[in-house]
Amino acid sequence: MGLAKRKAAYVEYAQAVPLKYAIDADSCIFLQKGKCGACQKICPTGAVDFKQKPSTETLNVGAVILAPGFTPFDPGRFDNYQYANLPNVVTSMEFERLLSASGPTAGHVTRQSKDHGEPKKIAWFQCVGSRDQNKCDNSYCSSVCCMYAIKEAVIAKEHAGDGLECTIFYMDMRTHGKDFERFYNSAKEKGVRFVRSRVHTIDPTPDESLNVRYVGDDGQAITETFDLIVLSVGLQTNPAVVDLAKQLDVDLTASRFCATDTFAPVATSRPGIFVCGAFQGPKDIPQSVVDASAAAEAAGEILTPARNTLTKVPEKVAELNVNGERPRIGVFVCRCGINIAGVVDVPSVAEFAATLPYVEYATDNLYACSQDTQDALAQTIKEKKLNRVVVAACTPKTHEPLFQETLIAAGLNKYLFEMANIRNHDSWVHKNNPELATKKAKDLVHSAVKKVALANPLTEAELNIAQSALVVGGGISGMAAALSLSRQGYPTHIVEQEAQLGGQARNIYQTAKGEAVAEKLQELVRSVEQDGNITVHLKTKLDQVEGFVGSFKSTLAGNKGQTVIEHGVAVLATGGKALTPTEYGYGKDPRIMTSLELDRKFMANDPVLDTAECAVFIQCVGSRQPDRPYCSRVCCTHSVDSALQLKKRRPEMNVYILYRDIRTYGERELLYKKAREAGVIFIRYALDHKPTVSITGSKVTVQVTDHVLGLPVAIDADLLTLATAVLPNRDERLANFFKVPMNEDGFFVERHAKLGPSEFATDGVFLCGLAHYPKPIDESIAQGKAAASRAITLLARKKIFTSGQVASVDPMVCSSCGVCVSVCPYSAPSFIDASARMHAGKAQINAVLCKGCGLCVASCRSGAIHLKGFDNDQIFAQVAAINWD
Amino acid sequence: MKNLLELMGIEADRIHFSWISSAESTKFVKVVNEITAKVKALGPNQRFVKQAAKVA
Amino acid sequence: MSEWEPKIVSFLCNWCSYGAADLAGVSRMEYPPNVRVVRIPCTGRMSPKFALAALREGADAVWVSG
Repeated sequence: MGLAKRKAAYVEYAQAVPLKYAIDADSCIFLQKGKCGACQKICPTGAVDFKQKPSTETLNVGAVILAPGFTPFDPGRFDNYQYANLPNVVTSMEFERLLSASGPTAGHVTRQSKDHGEPKKIAWFQCVGSRDQNKCDNSYCSSVCCMYAIKEAVIAKEHAGDGLECTIFYMDMRTHGKDFERFYNSAKEKGVRFVRSRVHTIDPTPDESLNVRYVGDDGQAITETFDLIVLSVGLQTNPAVVDLAKQLDVDLTASRFCATDTFAPVATSRPGIFVCGAFQGPKDIPQSVVDASAAAEAAGEILTPARNTLTKVPEKVAELNVNGERPRIGVFVCRCGINIAGVVDVPSVAEFAATLPYVEYATDNLYACSQDTQDALAQTIKEKKLNRVVVAACTPKTHEPLFQETLIAAGLNKYLFEMANIRNHDSWVHKNNPELATKKAKDLVHSAVKKVALANPLTEAELNIAQSALVVGGGISGMAAALSLSRQGYPTHIVEQEAQLGGQARNIYQTAKGEAVAEKLQELVRSVEQDGNITVHLKTKLDQVEGFVGSFKSTLAGNKGQTVIEHGVAVLATGGKALTPTEYGYGKDPRIMTSLELDRKFMANDPVLDTAECAVFIQCVGSRQPDRPYCSRVCCTHSVDSALQLKKRRPEMNVYILYRDIRTYGERELLYKKAREAGVIFIRYALDHKPTVSITGSKVTVQVTDHVLGLPVAIDADLLTLATAVLPNRDERLANFFKVPMNEDGFFVERHAKLGPSEFATDGVFLCGLAHYPKPIDESIAQGKAAASRAITLLARKKIFTSGQVASVDPMVCSSCGVCVSVCPYSAPSFIDASARMHAGKAQINAVLCKGCGLCVASCRSGAIHLKGFDNDQIFAQVAAINWD
Repeated sequence: MKNLLELMGIEADRIHFSWISSAESTKFVKVVNEITAKVKALGPNQRFVKQAAKVA
Repeated sequence: MSEWEPKIVSFLCNWCSYGAADLAGVSRMEYPPNVRVVRIPCTGRMSPKFALAALREGADAVWVSG
């Protein structure tokens, strides 16, 4: 990003995969002038090849997925912010690098002027290159900047301490993601200051600080000085991507994002080409991950006939039986080029290893992970008849599987292996202390040798995955998931408690893009009903669930009695519902209704829509308040859209929207703009000054304090719409059935907020739709497809192997106390049935469910449980191997 | 755990517990430094090393 | 004899602190070489016996990190 200099031979970033060097052709003296070439001469493995040229290759594929991402907006052209001239005005992307531990300042935030001083006051300016038609052509909202600005402010304060003042200047605070509102609230508590104002000018001071002029809430002009200013730049499509789209004949929206349909959110205008990520519309990581899975699923549907036609199955090598053999250990110490050998005396470590008990062979390698060394390793295992292997190299977290493959190829059980981490934990962190680093390396190798000597071959439980799915909930996202599963060849059951499919979508009039929901929904329901692979169980509930990933057995209770179905995976799409409000006079007058009730009037073409003089919408009814501290995400867009519909039917109608922040994220912002242009009046209110509603005689009157005038306004409404919160269909029983967690609001908790939004931590169980968090139809469908996509990655494997490193019970020692049964987070231990012939009443552990954490092992008071691969004697031996002299 | 050690005459600072996520390398280094410094201040462990255990 | 250096045995959770230690390496941070790492699958695996064993074997301190 130009914040720091980089050499011509470089690693992209510290966590890059693969962690390999590349040459920057623009800066390389050899490539530019034909001189130097030092790196080629010095590289011990001969990896530098200057002759590599870009080449064009032709691939034959059945589907294409576009994921070209976005380009941050370049604020250089804004003369009022002087980004190009003032060093202490940085973009949010640059600030992100300043905060990063692997960034140019190692996470220490400094000014970019020559003084490199520590800033005491930092300001963020929101909507730079977003929601702005005048200075740039990006009238959409970039969706992510409010949240990242809050995050940056909070982290900056964490780094610098409470003394750092952080101020965010914004127009509307848009924290509409899951748990984002809570983060916003906690940022306020931590002292981040939020000022609702768009700053017009930055003026430099002589000491390179920045004077900022803005208009405060009360209309007064204020000047304030900051040490550093961060411009929260928006997301836009790269011009090269616009060209690519033209070339591919894929339609774009007016904002230059890929055009998609609400009911097919990852399909481009051209069949066979799919889209995901910020090219589909500005979005954050969780939504991008959902889209990515959905796009993979959509591509998978058309590729289903070709599945596994290009797969090659590697030849299996028979495993040697080493039981009862005396350990014959081979130790391979890796130099990792100079990464290890530059600090640790590798030959002496190998010599030392050769002296240890049971070690038959010890050597050092330049790169233990290279293909030729792997081949040599397999050869050595055979020649020296080794039955245990230690590799002293980098971290087992990245390389253990690679070496285990080699063991398997040489006929050894993969658990007869141990790694000593002498790079990440040694040479890299003790580079100024080679002597002690070498000593530590010897200790680590000794520990590994002692441990592996006690290792036994382990078997992995094989588990067949039943090739069918259960979807709980027949709403939009549940149906999307079921159709995806079915189209990829998996028989699917939908369980729906209502008498018909469709869920909440049946109550919605039209989408933000203007598509009539009823029509599209009918198509969707019809395709589900006509799908021979899908069985729909209406008016049915789950009565019981047994089993686990791959072999669930669920009992359904419907009006025709009970049925038991077996399925390999489950998708929870239990949906949500609208809050029934208890404020603003709801229920006391027919003119006061919820958003969904207004939609019903639209669907029924109610005459009141053409006669009403005045319509009022109140936002955040039940959302964003202490008892329900989340944003319901959909209501702002819904009200703005409904307001526009009213204006369209009857332009002379007075339409008011009373709001706290308008959260029309992404291209929905264009609707908000259109509504203002159509004359819809937006009045902001504060949480502690909620509007009041009075019903007197024939009038429904709404009182609110206008934020511009600062005066109370009374509006007589013929239609008063309450934009109510979206609530989850909280179902504790279901959560218990599948052992999945719920948060305090009643929404299910996914495996990972960013990287695993459509699956649970519990294997084989997935989630989508409103049960995860409030979301509009397009996002619900995308997540339905995503949940199916994640489920199919499991189903397609047909069988899975669990880890061999699991706990097991010695029933002779077990005292049946039950501690293991109660402590296990994965429900793996259970009691053997009292009527069993052997060991009745003792504990047993299901190897499939066991994650090998060892909690039960440590808590077993009889010492009856052993953790294979990490047994007590192995850990004692490791500890004893350390030489402290 | 700490109580058990105290009971055996082992100083509480000889056992440390911490929680570090896999992304918090800076915290990891900070904790290593802190613990090393604390134990250094404490001096060598005299109690319960192998020889003593044999007598017991 | 140089200054006395403490001897510390650490039991690190494979998924948390062990990863942090890896990352510290990747980021080329430096810290004192007094710590010896034993990788455990999870701090749940930790048993007081391991800590006592380490002290008995001559360690000056034990560090358990999840």
